[in-house]
Formats: sequence, structure tokens, C-alpha cells
Amino acid sequence: MNRTLLIAQREVLAYVKTVGFWLSLLSLPFFAVLGGFMPVLLKRAEPLQQYAIVEDGAGNGTLAASVRQALEADYQRNTLSSLALAAVAEAGITGRDAVRKAGDTGGYDAALAELKRVAPRAAASFKQPRRSVVEVEAPSDLVAAAAGTAKDDMARQWVDGDATVGEHKLSAVVILSEKNGAPAARIWSRRAANNDVEGMIKSALAEVNRKQTFAANGVDADVVKAVESYRPDVTFLSPRAASGGEVSFRDRLPMIIGLVCGFMMWSLILTGATMLMNGVMEEKSNKILEVLLSSVTATELLVGKVLGVAVLTLTVMGGWALISTVGLSVTLPEVARDIGSVMLANGLWLYLLLYLVGGYLMYAVLFAAIGAFCETPRDAQTLMGPVMMALIVPLLFMQMAIRSPDALLLKVLSFIPPFTPFIMSARAPSQPPMIEVIGSLIVMFAFAVLMMWLSGRAFRAGAMSDAKLSWKSFLGAMRSQ
Amino acid sequence: MSTVLRLSDVSKSYGNFQAVKSLGFEVQRGQICGFLGPNGAGKTSSIRMILGLQAATSGSIEILGADDGRKVRDRIGFLPEERGLYKKMTPVEAIAYLGSLKGLPASEGRKRARDMLEQMGLGDSQKKKMKDLSKGMAQKVQLIASVVHQPEFVILDEPFSGLDPMNQQGLEAMIRSLAENGATVLFSTHVMQHAERLCDKVVLLARGQKAFEGTVEQARATSPRFLEINGALDLKSVAALPGISGFEQVEQHGDVFSIKARLAPDAEVQQTLRTAFMSNMDVRSFALREPSLHDAFIALTGANPDDDQRHKTDAAVTETAR
Repeated sequence: MNRTLLIAQREVLAYVKTVGFWLSLLSLPFFAVLGGFMPVLLKRAEPLQQYAIVEDGAGNGTLAASVRQALEADYQRNTLSSLALAAVAEAGITGRDAVRKAGDTGGYDAALAELKRVAPRAAASFKQPRRSVVEVEAPSDLVAAAAGTAKDDMARQWVDGDATVGEHKLSAVVILSEKNGAPAARIWSRRAANNDVEGMIKSALAEVNRKQTFAANGVDADVVKAVESYRPDVTFLSPRAASGGEVSFRDRLPMIIGLVCGFMMWSLILTGATMLMNGVMEEKSNKILEVLLSSVTATELLVGKVLGVAVLTLTVMGGWALISTVGLSVTLPEVARDIGSVMLANGLWLYLLLYLVGGYLMYAVLFAAIGAFCETPRDAQTLMGPVMMALIVPLLFMQMAIRSPDALLLKVLSFIPPFTPFIMSARAPSQPPMIEVIGSLIVMFAFAVLMMWLSGRAFRAGAMSDAKLSWKSFLGAMRSQ
Repeated sequence: MSTVLRLSDVSKSYGNFQAVKSLGFEVQRGQICGFLGPNGAGKTSSIRMILGLQAATSGSIEILGADDGRKVRDRIGFLPEERGLYKKMTPVEAIAYLGSLKGLPASEGRKRARDMLEQMGLGDSQKKKMKDLSKGMAQKVQLIASVVHQPEFVILDEPFSGLDPMNQQGLEAMIRSLAENGATVLFSTHVMQHAERLCDKVVLLARGQKAFEGTVEQARATSPRFLEINGALDLKSVAALPGISGFEQVEQHGDVFSIKARLAPDAEVQQTLRTAFMSNMDVRSFALREPSLHDAFIALTGANPDDDQRHKTDAAVTETAR
């Protein structure tokens, strides 16, 4: 086998045998899945909380009823949102909007009927959101207690002691009152850090106050409801939309893909180049470089190592892409289709691959050359500081590349080779002018070739050198080798 | 005999520092050549130039018929002074991998590795990781790796350093075996006894320049022989004996002198002693001291190789203390 390939093969096998490689391959999808399911799991794992509502003083229960009504309305809204969200996996964004619209006009039953129509499988398995905070009937001694301090003392006893209401202890007691003509509440909670009930009650009181204020000013409740349920019907149009008119989620997808690609590109290039540098440093400190260089040329060694780590980097990227594709196809097939169509449109996947290759080559050979002068990461810090600072620049502009991909500053940055892979990856899904894509690729690859030549010289010098690394010695090695 | 290595007027400079100055010597096929010199003499720089790892500033190097070591690297085996292998590989994997870089098929490399490890007494360590081997064992593995592809020319940079006496003996046997099988060997060392026992030829280097090139016998001949005489002697009479060219050392204990006298290159010791006895000198003991390679090294380079060894040991102690 060719020596370069032998070096590359060893590089691949050495990393594939490590736990770290598999961790980095599986960590992203694992954390993505974990991030998606964690809120649901946490919600399900939450213990049931019971609270009681009482009115302070001689109230007739009107305020408590209004609050309960507001709380129920809030729960219904959450249920409608869950119904709409349940439609996404089977019926996509369009299905979600249809269910939402049905819910706005006809409530829960209409929304469920629409879900059954657009996403029958999702409807069959749909369960209403679990109430983790449940109101129970207030204990009689609490209701009977005199307003003010006596009521507070009694509430304190209920949330501090072991007495139960039904099977559970009370987590909180809400004492409703009027203050300066507006609804108010004092909440006694078993745990000081728990603000679930506080949040619910605050929101409900705000709702009650709003309705009372409207009523006091002679505004009909039905009018208020009609105003609140109004959703402005705005149609966003663009000649660059896929439909040629109305802009859909599919049309906004390139921006999201650009952002994700830019960050992934940055992460992959930096990870690959750092992996390479660490490998070279390890060989330098273990005195293996000299043995290798008596068997292969410095160029064969450098190219083999760059190739080996490139295979690893592409394997990780391919793994992520495969897991993401399978995951999206199963959970959000419509979104997966849209992403696929964006990636395939106008050869976007090819541009991204070329930017990855060019960017990796530029940084990999530079990092390998730095590694050849160093035996420990501390040795490398002298040179890595400025390099890392330069790598931060594209991160700062990537967000801008999503919002304003045609900004002049971004066009200029796109032609500065060290920034090209990241800025252009973020811009490419928004279809910048072809001249800019091709131009930036040519400039980037020309610079990558120059970097390979210069870094190759430095690598050769560094591998056989015991000189202390500095910018002076590094640049000197590039010039004089 | 054909010439395997020829250096002609080779120099190497690092900035203003000239590490090697106009070095020239030859090694013939099948020879075991010792490359001797104190620290900083330019041995490692010369070896790197021979291998093509570094370019010579001036001069020419011919190795195995090529003008650049890199062109014939598959025919060369090299053991560097600073040694190391991949810590997570097993000895068999490491040897087979380095062999494959020299063009040896991986399966053949693994087979030879197992056989050679057995021969070197490392049969039980074949499946251990390199990081779990002792320094001596790792050094043997690296030595095997440098010759597993059966090179025509083997270059060993300080191969004996770090080995215990038993392993040094084993390495000597291995070097002899390589030569017996037709390989040419060039090795650098500070231990003169190894060179004395092994070498057909030695090249001595001092301050970047060749101080001597020739056989061990020729090297020894560059140093004087000594006659050690003990007795109640008159110094003037001893100095007047035929063949005595001067005194190296004189010690007096009462009326007894211990004299270490230099012999002239053409002196006949029998004649010297006969004259002493015929003159009724009170000679109580005498001994002829032939020069060793160690003596020749000191005489030719002006440096003591033991100082180098001490220097290395001190450096190692300092490094360990850090």
C-alpha cells in the first residue's frame, strides 16, 4: 500500500479505537435527542402539586371563580398548542397551522377533529397535557379562618405540617383578596424555591384584572374575546420564494441551514485540525517523528496525517448527517424533505463540501506545522492564541450572514480565505451570486495550496528541530527550510 | 568490496554555528563501522545528513549508490538516538507498521516481528502495549523495527545507551549477526569497549571534524604504549633506558618509585627490560600497558568519552529531579 495511505490508515485506526472518537460521533445526536425529550421527561417526572384557593375576608367567591376560569382558559390554550404541535411530525407545518386555526375558531373539539383529519396517527396517540399542579378543595378550617393574620397562620400550618388533603399534602395555599381595587394574592408555599403556583396565579390575576377593567369601562366581554382571538392574516410574499409568491417555512429553511452549517463547519474544522495537531505533538514528544521521517518523506507524512484525520472528520460529519436524516425522516418527515430539497438545490451540498475541504486543508496543515514544533499543548499556546482569535471572527459575523447575506462587509469577508469556509457556508443556502461562490472557492483553494506549501516547509523543519517555538522560529522555518 | 557510504567534504551549519566541517569517510559493504565522538561532535547531524533527513550545507554524500539517502530509504534501517514508538500499539503491530513503511507486506512484517521478538526474549510480551514494556524491552522492539525489513545498511545512533549489560551483550550479538548476514552497520557510541569488540573500522569525530578513520588497531597505534616499573629506582637511569621516551606519571613511596613511562613507537620492550636488569636496577615489578581505544579516543579527540557518559547521566538525573 502507498506510504501516504499507510500513514492515513494508522491515523484513522488510532482514533477509531479511542472512546473519545465514538463519544464525539454520538454526543451531538445524543444531546440533541436528550435536549428534545428532556423537557417532556422532566414534566412527566414532576411530582403532583396540590394547592387550595381561598378568598380573604367575606368574599362571595366571585374572585376565586374568575381566577379558576382564567386558569382553565390557560390550560385549554396549552392543550390547543399541544394538539397543533402533534400534527407537525405527520402533517408538517401546514398541518400544524390547520389544527391551530381550527382550535382558534372551534376550540378543543374542532382542533382534535382537524388533527384526526390531517394526522390520524398523531390524533390516535394524542393525550392531553398532564396537570402537574392541581387545585383541591380548601380545608374547612382554612376557609373559616378570619381574614388577615388568622388566615395566614392557618395557611402556614397547612403548608408546614404533615396534614393531608386527600392523599397529598398541600403544596401551596392561595389567599385571594382585593388590593387598591385590583385582584391580589398571598401565596403560602411548602417550598420557598417553588414558583409554579406563583406563576400560574400571577397570570390568572392579570387576566381577571384585564376583564374587570374592560367591564368597568363598559366594554362587552364578547368584544374582548373577539379582539383577543384575532390573529392578523399577513401574507409574506417574495419573488424568490419557491412558490414564486408566498414565503413558506421551506423558503426560510436556507437561513436556518446556513446558520447550522456555518457552526458545524467551524466546529468540524477546528476539531479536525486540533486532533491533527495533538497527534503530531504526541509523535514529536514520543520521538516517533524522526523514525517515521527515515521511512517516508515529510510530505508523505503530512499528507497521510491530513488525509487520515480528514477521513475521521468526514466520518463524524457523515455520521451526524445520517443520524439527523434518519431522526428527522422518522419524526419530522416533511421538514426532512424540505431540508433535502434545499441541500440538493443548486448543488448546495457540493459547495458546502468544497468549503469544508478547503477550510480543513488550510487549518489542518497550519495546525500540523505548529504541532511539529511542540511537545506539549503549552508549547503550542504561543502560536495558537492569535490563530484562535482569528477563528473567532467568522463566528461574530455568522449571525449577520444569516440576516443580511448580501451585506458588503460579508462579501469582503467571504474573500478573506481564513474566513471563507465559515462565512460562505452561512451565506451559501441563501444563494449568493454564483460569481461570489466560484470566486471565493478559487481564492480559498489558492490560499490553501499556499498554506500547504508553507506549512509543509515548517512541518519538515519543526519535525527535526529542537528549537523553542516562537513566531520568529516558525516563520523562519517557513522561509528557510 | 564495494563502497556503501562515502562522505566527501561534507559540512553542516545552523546559522553561524558549524556543526560538521569538511567531513569525509567511507564504509565498505559488510563492515561494522563505529562512529565515535564526544557530545556535540556532530555525529547525529552527520547521521541525519546521511539519511537525507537534513540537507548538507556543502559536500556530497553517496549512499548505496544514490546521492540522497531518501532515494534508498527502503534499503536502510535506522535507530535514532531518541527512541519512541506508539504507546498504544503492541510490539508486533509497531514492528509490522514500521516495516510496512519500508515496503514490507504487513503479514510478512507480523510474522518476522513474532520470530524476532522470540529470538530477543520478548516472546511473552508480544501482546502487551508498548507503554507497558520496560525501557530496555521497548528499545529492543525499536531495534527489531529498524531491521525487520532486512536492510542492506543499518545505521544505529547510540544503540547501547539505556541498556543493561545483559542487553548490551545481546545487542552486540545482534549487530554481529547482521554483519554476518551481509548487512553493513554504522553505529555511534560512547562506550569504547563495544566499538573495540565489534568494529572493523572506526571514525572518530571531534568538534565537527574527523579526527581519525581506520581500524581499531590503527586507532590504538596512535596512542603510546606504557611501561609500568616499580622499585627502588634512580629516575635518571630509568629515563636513559632504550625505548623510553618520557614519563607519564611518577609516584614515590619511601625509597620505592612507581613509574609509568612512555615507550617510543618503535621501542622493543624486551631490550628495555634486559638493559634494566643488566644495569642491576632494583626492579620489583613491571608491566606493559598496550593502549586501548579509550586511550586513542582521548589522544585523538582531546575528550574523555566517560565524561560524556557522566554528562549524560548528570543530565538524566537533573531531568528526573525536575
